[in-house]
Amino acid sequence: MADSELGSGPVLRDPANLVSPRARIVWRTGAAIRALVPFVVALVLQLTGAWDLPLWVWIMYAVVALADVVLMPIYRYRVHRWETTATAVYTQTGWIARERRIAPMSRVQTVDLEQSVVGRVLGLATVTVTTASAAGPLRIEGLDRVTAERLVDDLTRRAEAEGGDAT
Amino acid sequence: MSEPVSEPVSEPVSELRHDAEWRRLDLRMLLVHPVNEVIRFLPVIIGIFVLGSGGENGGPWHYIGVAIPIAIGLIRFASTKFRITPGQIELHRGILGRNVLTAPLDRVRTVELTATLIHRLLGLEKVEIGTGSAKKGGDSRLVLDSLGREEAQRLRTELLHRAPEVSTGSTSPGTAAGPAAAPASHVILRFDPRWVRYAPLTSSGVLIAVGALGAVGGPLAGSNLISDIANSDAVSSLADVAVSVLVLSLVAGFVVLSAILASGGYLLQNWGFTLTREDRSRTYHVRRGALTTRETTIDLDRLRGLEVHEPLGLRLAGAGRLNAIVTGLDRRSEGSSPMVPAAPRPVVIGVGEHVLAEAGPLHADLVQHGPAAQRRRYIRAIVPLALVPLVLLLLVLLGPTPWWWVVLTAPLPVLGVLLARDRYQRLGHALTPAYVVMRWGCFRGRRDALQRTGVIGWNIKQTFFQRRAGLVSLTATTAAGRQSYEVLDVEEATAVALADAAVPGLVSQFLVRSAS
Repeated sequence: MADSELGSGPVLRDPANLVSPRARIVWRTGAAIRALVPFVVALVLQLTGAWDLPLWVWIMYAVVALADVVLMPIYRYRVHRWETTATAVYTQTGWIARERRIAPMSRVQTVDLEQSVVGRVLGLATVTVTTASAAGPLRIEGLDRVTAERLVDDLTRRAEAEGGDAT
Repeated sequence: MSEPVSEPVSEPVSELRHDAEWRRLDLRMLLVHPVNEVIRFLPVIIGIFVLGSGGENGGPWHYIGVAIPIAIGLIRFASTKFRITPGQIELHRGILGRNVLTAPLDRVRTVELTATLIHRLLGLEKVEIGTGSAKKGGDSRLVLDSLGREEAQRLRTELLHRAPEVSTGSTSPGTAAGPAAAPASHVILRFDPRWVRYAPLTSSGVLIAVGALGAVGGPLAGSNLISDIANSDAVSSLADVAVSVLVLSLVAGFVVLSAILASGGYLLQNWGFTLTREDRSRTYHVRRGALTTRETTIDLDRLRGLEVHEPLGLRLAGAGRLNAIVTGLDRRSEGSSPMVPAAPRPVVIGVGEHVLAEAGPLHADLVQHGPAAQRRRYIRAIVPLALVPLVLLLLVLLGPTPWWWVVLTAPLPVLGVLLARDRYQRLGHALTPAYVVMRWGCFRGRRDALQRTGVIGWNIKQTFFQRRAGLVSLTATTAAGRQSYEVLDVEEATAVALADAAVPGLVSQFLVRSAS
């Protein structure tokens, strides 16, 4: 990730853990749905004669959509990472734009685990760690359920041990 | 109704004393609320009267229109009560539905007293208690509308000086005399009416003017007046020159109007602005307002830093504004409480230094963000501004677009250069013993000084273009103020080093020596 780095100073490394490989299925499904909805709408309009899009528009759309469905999940899977230590939580998300978030354990206020319908089918869960700041909770999407539950227990215990009113 | 339901049995003595202390709003609020409700219901009331007089026998309707608002006021009075127990403040509301708000006293961050003109005539104050709850909706504050002035001030003293007073009896007359006498309070800043000259340079005037125009223009647009004028022969026969004169005079009129409105708004809001420091309770105290007065008390322990606002207009005039970054203030106002209104820069910096007790954050030379950030400023400012005349030129070549549009917009890229240069020069950050300092922006520029101990996390964002330039945006998250303060477009290594140095021991565990 730090390939653009020129200096020899310390570099922030990626968080250690990948999320569940099955998370790619969730992202891929999402991308497919995102791609299909406008496609179907345009197709209907085209067939009813309301629109008359040239062929190259269809081809370009297909290329972009296919890239989104095929490549995005692969790439995203490499970026989405997380790590916890005794004193901090560290996440990395995104794919084109990236964001890393670090929060000290002593400032953790709540730890939530949620499962969407798709997530339940695939046995995946999302863990959200919030601090007293309304800006930027740390979300770890696509963890497998067992890992997620262990993580929640872990974080809750450590945050409690740190104490304080977290502001 | 006044019986305690689930009180702990362990401290019967103090509980007994505090049981009796269910307090109600001041009876005089009965006069405030109906007036407010009548104003709010004014359209309805007018409607009823118009309909009533139009109809044959609309007699009783006249009175219902007035009676309902008064009844609402009565119900609100009857259904609101509050008390302070040793540990917490409780607020009960509602007759049928019941709403109980409870907040631990040690979570009380700020107490704000406001009084509209009606309140002031009746000697009342509305009390709002901020409790630093992390709820994003922000409606978790306790509002008591309204109490007598004395009572309100006593309550504020109780809430903010809780440690010693609450246990010794919260209604003792000794504390009541406290705020009036205000022992060991120093006036730090007093409003100078001459500062009104800065008001037209703030953006608020433009906003008010736009709002006023919207209010007037809405109905106008609804009528056929404008289209009638536009379609009339008189307008179409006017030459282009006359139209541009008309446009120019409209713009000039708008500028004058917004300057007047801004000055008026500034005076209304800030008349009598006084900032005092109370040593005993370790608080700052802001009082302001011409008609509606507003008193904010800021607990020094909740102060996380300062924002020096330097929007372009004020900066050119050598002025600025100062806001406090506080936990527990209303999110609607973005958690920042004014400490100095638009005023000369030396005044702003003087107060800032006093509050921070450190000169560094407001004076320190900032670390510039380097050539990559500079390039990014120029590209981002010039490209969109250069596109405007280019697109217009294309339109002129293609069709019947007036050529003077291109001439008019041709200087835009030059403005872009100036803008970019200013933006880059202002971009910077610094680390002082106690604060992280960040400065950015041209039109809405700010210098933020955030306590390093107030930083409760780091977000490091990188867009595609930022990654190519080797830059990141480093955001310090905090429980106070705007919740996040950003160091814009800083080199990745610098950002990491800054985050590591500002909050020791947090980022360091994720660092590796660069291999390349």
